[in-house]
Amino acid sequence: MLFSPGWRGPARQGTVLSVFTLGLLLGGLLSGSVIWLLSGLSAPLPSPFRVGAILLVAVLGVLREAGLPAVGGIPLPQNARQIPPDVLQRRLFRGTLQFGFELGTGVRTYVSAAAPYVLALVLLLSHQSYPATALVGAAFGLGRALTATLTLLSRDPARDAAIALRMPWIRNFTALTALLSLTLLSR
Amino acid sequence: MGHRVQLTPSAGRLRRGLTEPLLPVCALALLAVACAALGATVLCWASVGALAGYSLSGSV
Repeated sequence: MLFSPGWRGPARQGTVLSVFTLGLLLGGLLSGSVIWLLSGLSAPLPSPFRVGAILLVAVLGVLREAGLPAVGGIPLPQNARQIPPDVLQRRLFRGTLQFGFELGTGVRTYVSAAAPYVLALVLLLSHQSYPATALVGAAFGLGRALTATLTLLSRDPARDAAIALRMPWIRNFTALTALLSLTLLSR
Repeated sequence: MGHRVQLTPSAGRLRRGLTEPLLPVCALALLAVACAALGATVLCWASVGALAGYSLSGSV
């Protein structure tokens, strides 16, 4: 949708991708900032409790992605609707920036994986410094931009099908990585 | 003419290989775990953050 030819004919796809990435970065930064503000509420909790809760959340993320019936059935809270296509069609750069920003916040549309929830809860519980939390938010936006970048570079008309085929692996591997990393950090 | 017919598919394969959707996951996962093991907390967090964003590849 983002790089479709025709109505985007005069615009260079690389420029569209740059504007989209900027929007994602800003959206991620905003979400990171809000999480950092809220994370102050967890600061009074005892450290052992917070470490235990962080690891529990990461384990639940792994179990959910693995499809464990007891956890897999838990619905993820999400804004289960797509960003209206007319956001992109009104104005090229402003619309692309807005589209990226809304996606970058991670709260405006579908969230199909457990990892963003694990990340948000862990950041809430661990109360990192503001620069660290903002950086994680920006990295979240860049992670989303990576998908669009590789899609543009691949020039593969069957790209969506290739991604869909690998999504279970991507989600499981991400959840496992989060658990392993958090376990190592909590030593 | 013959060369062209041979080169085009291999370039496509190379491009597909370099943009394989699982590659960023492996790279970011390795980076996150390595940073966690080395105590580079912020970089570890950033890698997990990028992974979380990438895990939403199928969603718009």
